[in-house]
Amino acid sequence: MKFWKELVKGLWKENPIFRLVLGMCPALAVTTSVENSLGMGLAATFVLICSNAVTSLLRNLIPAKVRIPCFIVVIATFVTIVDMLMDGFAHELHKSLGIFIPLIVVNCIILGRAEAFASRHPLWLSIADGIGMGAGFTLGLVVLGATRELLGAGSITIWGHLKWTLVGYEPMILMILAPGGFIALGCLLGGMNHLQARAAKRRGTIFSPPAHLDCRSCTMCTFGK
Amino acid sequence: MKESIKLVVVLTIICTIAGALLAVVKDVTSESMQAAAQKEKNDAIKKVLPTCDNDPVADAIALDVNGIVWTFFVARDSNGFLGAAFESTSSKGYGGDIAIMVGVNANGTVQAVEVLSHKETPGLGAWISGEAFRSQFVGRSIADTSWAVAKDGGDIDQITAATISSRAVTEAVKAGLDIYTAHPKSFSHISAKGAPQ
Repeated sequence: MKFWKELVKGLWKENPIFRLVLGMCPALAVTTSVENSLGMGLAATFVLICSNAVTSLLRNLIPAKVRIPCFIVVIATFVTIVDMLMDGFAHELHKSLGIFIPLIVVNCIILGRAEAFASRHPLWLSIADGIGMGAGFTLGLVVLGATRELLGAGSITIWGHLKWTLVGYEPMILMILAPGGFIALGCLLGGMNHLQARAAKRRGTIFSPPAHLDCRSCTMCTFGK
Repeated sequence: MKESIKLVVVLTIICTIAGALLAVVKDVTSESMQAAAQKEKNDAIKKVLPTCDNDPVADAIALDVNGIVWTFFVARDSNGFLGAAFESTSSKGYGGDIAIMVGVNANGTVQAVEVLSHKETPGLGAWISGEAFRSQFVGRSIADTSWAVAKDGGDIDQITAATISSRAVTEAVKAGLDIYTAHPKSFSHISAKGAPQ
């Protein structure tokens, strides 16, 4: 039961991209296509599960003062191992993901989960957290990637096999450039808040998004005030 | 004092284990890593050259032009010289170097172009490795083509919103083709049996 709870919380309630708003650098950099998003998500998930497991096992041995360097060494080691194994035994995959793998080291979700969860929970819960957070990260990336690729390139292609095209649509190139990442992320975050606010209203409760994501506590514009 | 010794010891142990682990993995994978990289290049050479009887890598000839060594992978069969493949790099890509492999026929027209590596923007410049852009070069030679993108008044249609990437590839193809066309003597005496010693 507890295992299950840790597993599913990453998908929606504590989604790394849309709720925790962590790992924004890779999230904005690689979501130019669904294919890249999926690759980055799966590679990060693998590293996240491994680093959560090791961090959890070592949690009583690591002194609090040097925990961050220890976590970073563990994460960097796993990333390098994944990088080398993939290059050696799955060269084609490595070619398409090559530049994203070293980026995983600086992905703050992985350090964040090691610090906030794995260093305080037993092994099996930490693995569940890794799987759930990884799946949530992958899901978030794919949603973001699909939005941007569809609007920015007018079609979605996954490893050359699946292809959907918007007929008669003039691609908005801005969407696959860096500003498009921010625009898509902002719109999706807003949409998610809107959906949750509506669902809460129907239940008769009040939805309060995390303060940093709440339009009501933001002073950037006067929309909706 | 006692505490700081513990910190140093723990950190050292963790780093040592990590280092040892990495050394083992590196040792296990380095051979197949190199083999994969070599195979990739050989596959590209095979793709851009006409079908031949020999091993183009073994029969490669090197041309030293103004201090830069160009390697031409030579293809031949029982009728003699068929063409050559060369690797060319442009440093003028939008995101860094673009490396391509170009196959040329014996009469100096481009047979095929493959992109080996690039760091162009996904969804824009990355389309240089797409068939639509690469196939434009097929059948062109130095003499019958204006080697520039359409925006600069040339014959090559650039990719929309990726003129810099398109320009870099065009220049890379031309650079190698220039060398090939300017040194016909280096290739003319290649016979069915092999390159002269």
